[in-house]
Amino acid sequence: MKIRVFASFMVLLACCFGLIVLADNHEEENNMLVFPEAYTPMKVNGGGKITGLVKFEGEVPEMKKLDINKDKVVCGKEPKFDESVVVGENKELKNTIVYLMDIVKGKDFDAESKKPEIDQEGCKFTPHVQIVPVGARLTMLNNAPITHNVHILLNDADMGQDINKSQNRMLKKLRIKGIAKAGGPVEVKCDIHSWMKAYIAYVPHPYFAVTNEKGEFTLENVPPGTYKLGFWHEVCGTNNKEPQTVTVAAGGEVKQDFTLKLPE
Amino acid sequence: MRTTFFVLFILMFSLFVVTLTSYTQEAPEVSERGKEVYEESCAHCHGIEGRGDGSAAENLLPRPRDFTGGVYKIRSTESGELPTDQDLFDIITNGMPGSSMPEWESALSADDRWELVAYIKTFYSGFQELKESETLPRLINLTGKVKYSQESVEIGKVLYTELGCIECHGNVGRGDGTSAPTLVDSWDYRTWPANLSQGWNYRGGSTTEDIFKRFIGGIAGSPMPAFEGDTFYHFGLTPEESKRAVELENKEEITPEDEAEYAKYSEKMENAIDAALDRAEGTELTPEAQKIYDDAMKVVYEKSWHLANYVKSLSPEKRPEYAIGNNVLRSQYKEGDLPTFDDAEWETLESSYYPLVGQVIVEPRQFNPTIDSVNVKSFYNDTEVAFLFTWDDRTNNTSVEETENFGQSFIDGLAIQFPVKVPKGPTDEKPYFLWGGRKPVYLWQWMASEPETIKELTAKGMSNAGLQEDQGNVQAESEYKEGQYRLWVKRALKTEDKKDLQIEPAVFVPIAFSAWDGANGDIDTKRAITSWYTFVLEPVPSSRRFIYPPLVALLSLGLLVGLRQFVQRKNT
Ligand code: HEC
Ligand code: HEC
Repeated sequence: MKIRVFASFMVLLACCFGLIVLADNHEEENNMLVFPEAYTPMKVNGGGKITGLVKFEGEVPEMKKLDINKDKVVCGKEPKFDESVVVGENKELKNTIVYLMDIVKGKDFDAESKKPEIDQEGCKFTPHVQIVPVGARLTMLNNAPITHNVHILLNDADMGQDINKSQNRMLKKLRIKGIAKAGGPVEVKCDIHSWMKAYIAYVPHPYFAVTNEKGEFTLENVPPGTYKLGFWHEVCGTNNKEPQTVTVAAGGEVKQDFTLKLPE
Repeated sequence: MRTTFFVLFILMFSLFVVTLTSYTQEAPEVSERGKEVYEESCAHCHGIEGRGDGSAAENLLPRPRDFTGGVYKIRSTESGELPTDQDLFDIITNGMPGSSMPEWESALSADDRWELVAYIKTFYSGFQELKESETLPRLINLTGKVKYSQESVEIGKVLYTELGCIECHGNVGRGDGTSAPTLVDSWDYRTWPANLSQGWNYRGGSTTEDIFKRFIGGIAGSPMPAFEGDTFYHFGLTPEESKRAVELENKEEITPEDEAEYAKYSEKMENAIDAALDRAEGTELTPEAQKIYDDAMKVVYEKSWHLANYVKSLSPEKRPEYAIGNNVLRSQYKEGDLPTFDDAEWETLESSYYPLVGQVIVEPRQFNPTIDSVNVKSFYNDTEVAFLFTWDDRTNNTSVEETENFGQSFIDGLAIQFPVKVPKGPTDEKPYFLWGGRKPVYLWQWMASEPETIKELTAKGMSNAGLQEDQGNVQAESEYKEGQYRLWVKRALKTEDKKDLQIEPAVFVPIAFSAWDGANGDIDTKRAITSWYTFVLEPVPSSRRFIYPPLVALLSLGLLVGLRQFVQRKNT
């Protein structure tokens, strides 16, 4: 009897321990996107559509004014604000990634999405969140005679060594090598202008959307089926723990809205 | 006959070197010994598990490296690559000057250092993966070095601005670029651009090759980017083509022929960039693409050597000798008025070099000082003495400010310390070097908030300093320019005030310094300091009053005799 109690106690202990370890591992994964093991592009017939609206709930944090302490003539033309939470009139949340977590077959990237760009006009990264297909080369644009450096923090996401490439004032375009592994979103920054910051997601399939000013997103040409729908936002986090399930009918349209809040 | 011998010798020697280097390319298999040495010598900084969290880590900036991320600053490999075993061996051997990473050449055998290389590699799986993939990290190509010359330095100087080194390192390289105050490293700690006029503080050495490798490969973990081939303007064009392309770019009216010509250049550049990116992504290049890449890189490498030569020109070959022994500061006698702040006459003097260290004895302490040294020159005449103090500081802080990311910044300053009474001889006790104790010290305190004022203080310890009643006896003028302060100070040799130092020719006077870099959080006892040094008003050559203190004389005599013997032995 005693031995039994002891044994079950030990098992319990082991379980607790296992759970702790699991929880620990999940901490980091919870801030990352979730990808299928493999993805095969194919021709999609009778694809459906997923649309929706992402809204922010709770008190909207004030957009902090950024201290433009350098190259003021070009960078400081208009005031700049921290873009970690950008909402519209009715709290529609911009810059949220909405995507399919578990799709394994579907459309291929279109020509345009294979040529992602980030513009540094006015010493600000536009867009603030950029989707980059795995292997695609990102182009950094710079029309002003201002020197930047493009610093992509891959190492924080265990995606290898950081990229940190100089883009001097004469280079209107700088191309960044493709990354073979999906991951992120990772931060990209410019050390020369400390306020410049954006995110890049390296993705293996094209079912990713970033919400616009109106908080809207659209995923098009989705093969009929049931999927997990995920979101990511730089401050509000993800729904990795409880992804939304959606079912897309052939040629149909599903609407799925999200409400995000600041983490506790 | 002789030449054959010589050639043979060279051959043998190179063989020896080759075998030596091929032997040292690879670290041994991981062993217990590596772990043992690591835990004994490295773990208190780098942590038992290599996470950079040893017991001594907390106060250090930069932090001891976290080896689990595989981030290494000093590499002979291209951007994005891991270091070679030799790189790791070298950095362990030489340490990282300007940081708390010590050299281990004197404390550990070469074998032990190799064991350590093998052991620290186990903290990051990327090394194992690299080994399994049976590839080597790509080395930066060091061939085609351009010899140092003034001409090369001039070309390099233009590139320094063009490529944007200036943004962080500043106009003349003192680390005072406009981006300097906001930089953070990959672990979110504050970091400063290297002061390129102080090669002895470079982490990875200051030879032209070292410099070349640092900016081509970048410094991983720091904000400093890699200046790879395709980050150069007109990558893929020859210098002539580039010149022509610039002409076309700036032309007002473009003819169809111009357009066609420019399209040709554009295509060439595209191809070169494609080749560079293919290569960076790990794609095998076709012989054709390889040639395009090599040709493009030839131009880049040549430019890079010019730039390396320019950076090299910014710093003296070696750290200056400290102001002791033969380098003691000797104030020069001058008849008539002493040179003013801007006087060119200062240029005629060599300066004496006083290295500073962080004050770590009294709380609050400074473990990571940013001011390397104070340089001093001095003239005197029959009634007055004038000093010119120069020291590098990356920022000009004239008031207390709240910074965006680094808390408060304070006011820059310098204090020059003397005893109130000059010790009677070398054995006579000096006041305690930290602002005196039982024996008082006399201080000149200057702050960047009042750039034309020197306050006179008397102190009997760090927490026991007071303004003298009688102020205004010391004149001062100063300037901050390109990351450097210049402070000119003048005082009468003799004063009425009993609490002042009275200065006489030919008497060795103790002198010490404190310096505050407000941006580095320096205030009160948190500062950089020296211990006691000495200076002397060099007697007028004609007057024979002067007698060297016996010790100095003896020392020089001993040196002379020793040298003569050495030379004689050499000759026989
Ligand atoms: C007093 C603390 C201290 C001790 C002891 C110490 N280190 Fe370091 N080490 C540092 C610091 C600080 C850095 C980071 C310096 C920097 O980033 O500029 C560093 C960096 C390194 C690096 C990284 C080099 C690079 O290229 O980035 C290696 C390798 C290293 N140490 C090896 C060792 C080994 C091996 C030992 C033991 C024999 C050791 N260290 C002992 C403080 C220490
Ligand atoms: C974004 C800012 C930035 C730019 C631009 C930059 N550097 Fe640096 N540089 C740094 C920082 C920060 C360090 C200190 C790195 C460290 O030790 O952690 C540094 C260090 C150095 C060092 C010292 C290396 C050593 O061994 O300690 C050299 C040499 C150097 N830079 C040269 C250059 C040259 C040449 C350029 C232009 C081609 C350049 N840097 C551009 C920030 C920059």
